[in-house]
Formats: sequence, structure tokens, C-alpha cells
Amino acid sequence: MSTDCQKTTAKAIPSTRRVTINDAAHMPHDYSTTPGGTLFSTTPGGTRIIYDRKFLLGCRSSPVAKTPPKGLPKIPGVTSPPSKDTDQKAHNGELLNNNITAPDSSSTGDDSQFEMDI
Amino acid sequence: MNNKFDALKDDDSGDHDQDQGSPKDSEKEKAEDEDKEQNTSKKKMVVPGAGEHPLQYNYTFWYSRRTPGRPASTQSYEQNIKQIGSFASVEQFWRFYSHMIRPGDLTGHSDFHLFKEGIKPMWEDDANKMGGKWIIRLRKGLASRCWENLILAMLGEQFMVGEEICGAVVSVRFQEDIISIWNKTASDQATTARIRDTLRRVLNLPPNTIMEYKTHTDSIKYSMGRLPWTGES
Repeated sequence: MSTDCQKTTAKAIPSTRRVTINDAAHMPHDYSTTPGGTLFSTTPGGTRIIYDRKFLLGCRSSPVAKTPPKGLPKIPGVTSPPSKDTDQKAHNGELLNNNITAPDSSSTGDDSQFEMDI
Repeated sequence: MNNKFDALKDDDSGDHDQDQGSPKDSEKEKAEDEDKEQNTSKKKMVVPGAGEHPLQYNYTFWYSRRTPGRPASTQSYEQNIKQIGSFASVEQFWRFYSHMIRPGDLTGHSDFHLFKEGIKPMWEDDANKMGGKWIIRLRKGLASRCWENLILAMLGEQFMVGEEICGAVVSVRFQEDIISIWNKTASDQATTARIRDTLRRVLNLPPNTIMEYKTHTDSIKYSMGRLPWTGES
């Protein structure tokens, strides 16, 4: 410890403290993970399940997420039920959100953010 | 018409119909019963499947459509709105979403609504009575992407306003599209400010996009023509 006397200038007390964590072992004890690695933490009022956009998009490709839901009503031009109409499905393929011709472009990074939907 | 707000007076984010149709309780109850019959199969408890990622809340997708030109007062809003389904996990959400047309490809005067389970996408619901919404008007071509970002943020609890979020709506209209997010307490300015800030962060909106906050009661007053629309939000 230095024995020099140093002048210091007044500084405001910082309101936040930033800590860079490179090792999982250094994470604060009140954080937890769900299977799949999503962080959630204790907020005032209790634990809340939080997912970021990237994670949610990543779940889209799991097989469990692809089968048509039970009881999906058939609304022409709106829904694509798990019907016998494979033709219709193929025709509507590009209009549906499960566009398989570009599966990952919407789930990776921010490129898709700047595509215009024509 | 002096300004575009006159033209849009009836078209406020898709909830104009309810303003005309709601006063008649008997009509409403009849519609509710019909809806219940249609949707009894959907009323059972939705839970995440094994190995799926649970959401903080369960949500329900709804769809509504109005025949353009038909005056809203002759149709009850509740008759026009239909449940698509409910989900409790991320994977279940994708199962629905992947089998629905993107909003940018919807035709006519249509809306998708995504609301927490148990909250109807209408102002009369207890959760919405004292509430309001941020609305964002988008030129054609942006709705699909913005809607997706909006609902992912909502499902992922990015808004950080406790229980305040009720749901989100995307409204396809003639020359523009509108996305909105509804919260419970219009007077809670800390909440509405935080929602607005989150919207800016998650939506990647074109610069100079205007966001307006409207209470539901204001929307009703103006829609029913009781007060002249002055173009103010």
C-alpha cells in the first residue's frame, strides 16, 4: 500500500457496478438456469421466466415445436390445419410462418431485421 | 375529411367494433354462449409438455375480421372474434404460430390478438377496463416482422412491468397496419413509459415512427362519435 499522500477529486458514488463474468462459477447465487440455459433471476415479487428473442427463435426448430397443434381451427387464409390438403400447404408454404425454405435466416442474428417484408 | 384521423376514426387498432357492439348485454351473452360452445374443447387447462420450456403465463391467440363497408354497429364484436388456441410453453407457441398466416399476408380488415389466458381482447374485460394501449402505425410491409418481435418480447417477459401486460394486437387495414400492446392501468405512467422504452428496444422500428398511447375509454368516446376527433392522441 502506497504511503504517498495523494490528492483525490470528488466523485459521485456510482449507482451501478459492472462486473464482467467469464466463468460460470462467478455467477451470483441468486441466478438460476432452466434446462436449455435461459437465465432467470429473482425479481421483486418473485422469480420470473424470461427468454430473449434469440432463445425463443432457437426453440422453433425443435421437432416438438413443429407438429400442428391439436384443435387448430380451420380458417381459410388464416390458419393451416394439419389437413389432408398437402397441396394447399405447399401452396401456402411461403405465406406461413413455418417457411422451410429459409429456416435459419430468421433465427440467426439481426440480418432478418433489415429485410423488408414485401 | 380534414385529416387522416377522420378516416381512421373507426379503425383504431381493431377495437372499434367492440365499442359499437358492447352495450347490448343480451346480445353479448348470446354471442358468448355461441363462443363457449365453439370453444369448449379449448377450455381445458393448458400445460407445458414434458421437456418443453414453460412461459411465465399461458396465452391465447384470437382472430377477428370485419367485412369492410359493413357498419360496425350491426355486428357484435364478440361475434366476430374467434379463439385460435392457447399455449403454455415456447414450443406450443411455435406450433400455433407456424401454422398461422403472417399478418402481412392477411386480407381484408383483420386482426390477430395474443392475450394472456383469461383476458378477452376487449376493453370490457376486467383486466382492460382501466387500461390502455400503445399503438404503432406501420406502413405496409412491416407488420409481419414487427408483430413477431412484439410477441416474442411479450412471451419472453421483456417488458418488466409485473402483471401489467394484457396482450398484443396486430391490425391489418387498408393502407397501413397497426400493432398495439395493451396494459391494465392506463394511469400508471411508470409502466407505460417502460413499455414504450421496451418497444423501441425490441421492435427495430423505422426512424421517426410515432408511438401513441391511448386509454381504452378514450378510444370508445372518439369511436362512437361523441366527441369530435381533433387529431390529438
